Amino acid sequence: MIQFFHVSKTYPPNHRALSDITLEIATGEFVFIGGPSGAGKSTLLKLLFRDEEPSEGQILLDGKNITRLKSRGVAQLRRKLGLVFQEFKLLRNLTALENVALAAEVVGLSKRESRTRAYQVLRDVGLKERYDAKPLALSAGEQQRVAIARALINDPLLILADEPTGNLDAEVADGIMRLFIKMRDRGATIVVASHDLNMINRYGTRVLSLQRGALVDDLTRLPPEEQRA
Amino acid sequence: MNLSLIGFVMRRVRSNLRQLLWTHALTAGTTAMTLFVFGGFMLLETNLQHLLKGWGDQIQITAYLNNGLAPDEVQTLVKNVAAMAEVERVRHVSQEQAWRDFQAALGTQSGLLEGLPREVLPASLEISLKPAYRDGPLVENLAQRLKKTPQVASVEFPQEWVERLGLAVLAVEWIQWIFGGVLFLATFFIVGSTVKLAILARKDEVEIMQLVGASEDLIQAPFVIEGMIQGLTGGALSLAGLWGAYLLLRGEVPALGGFLAPLGELQFLDLNSIALLLVIGWFLGAVGSLISLRRFIRTWKASSAQS
Repeated sequence: MIQFFHVSKTYPPNHRALSDITLEIATGEFVFIGGPSGAGKSTLLKLLFRDEEPSEGQILLDGKNITRLKSRGVAQLRRKLGLVFQEFKLLRNLTALENVALAAEVVGLSKRESRTRAYQVLRDVGLKERYDAKPLALSAGEQQRVAIARALINDPLLILADEPTGNLDAEVADGIMRLFIKMRDRGATIVVASHDLNMINRYGTRVLSLQRGALVDDLTRLPPEEQRA
Repeated sequence: MNLSLIGFVMRRVRSNLRQLLWTHALTAGTTAMTLFVFGGFMLLETNLQHLLKGWGDQIQITAYLNNGLAPDEVQTLVKNVAAMAEVERVRHVSQEQAWRDFQAALGTQSGLLEGLPREVLPASLEISLKPAYRDGPLVENLAQRLKKTPQVASVEFPQEWVERLGLAVLAVEWIQWIFGGVLFLATFFIVGSTVKLAILARKDEVEIMQLVGASEDLIQAPFVIEGMIQGLTGGALSLAGLWGAYLLLRGEVPALGGFLAPLGELQFLDLNSIALLLVIGWFLGAVGSLISLRRFIRTWKASSAQS
């Protein structure tokens, strides 16, 4: 599904954020990208949702080269993705329902259909009682669940999450990870960038480790439930 | 863009206008203030043109006639002069009329005329010129042609006034283009900067729209429509301000008299100028939003670069 061929990214004037990355992620995998701050985790995700262009190499998504896309192509690509960030990125003047529905409305769904779907995904992430609350009235965990609901509303095949639990306490973070596993079980591919080793050890079935922009390790383990068994 | 997306854009516009009322009011207010200055200049220019026309109406060539012309000879002369391209209207002042006019002009001192023969003042033609022919050389040319007419004894015209008027017309035309152009550019930059600030305050909205896959057109549409509404509101507010200023000054300026006397009552902007001011507001709002937004989208992408 995701293929990187000798991908590098250099920021001006001469900061090499990623060096010669070659990797493959299959459909339905749950992959952690680990490494310390500044290792290039966020850059790798940005290349995938085309916030950045690689300086060298090629990236294929479902066989389609996304290395050089014009703005229209970038918008179409992002409609197929679900994006989750550490800082939630919710509009403060909209309710939870409106924030989630926004992602469906921009792809051309009617207001009624967008809101019906938004309500369904909010229910799926356990927030059906809080649909009418604005972000500032929600806890950090609830806000992240709204962001996840927004990422899910268009049934994406690929979910990219950049430090999704960075602002959350351990219990709430576990809840968020369980949501990701649920999505993986429904067939979505999940790529999570995180520097939280505890989280990676508990939930990571495949861990790609970055250091100073280079891929230094690609470790595949049994799923946590099978490890426990 | 399908109907759902049009509906989405209109909902965003409505919601933004309601929720960001003060931001919009600030932008519309700035637009109104700059357009007020621009409109004030248009108002000044309109009244200067009107004043120049009033001065121009006072420019007359007086052709004094020989004594003893037969009435049909005078009538033919009046007809011929009126047919000249430069002439707007001709008034024949008989010797009798000239006497009465002079008497009226002297007022209480008209007794001074007692004992003078009425034929002492010559008959004349008072010739008013069309606005396009009030230029110095053209007036002089007409005066020369009239002098050569056998029935005309002499010709007079206010040469100094004609020259001053010509200069004034030229000055107003230059001021109109230079000052108007500078003001338009200043207005454009001021409104553009205000719109840019308003957009910066909403950078999260642009960023999130980009992240959920909204096309550039869809992101820009609400901003441009809101910009149009702000610009039109600013234009309307500036017109209201100009109307208020006009009402205050309407009675004051003619009372000053003197060289302003030909102005009569102050003029307000005509319909074309009112429409122009609204269109400028609309244009500034729309284009200012579009340019600032595009620049911002480029800047945001560059600034988001980090490992």
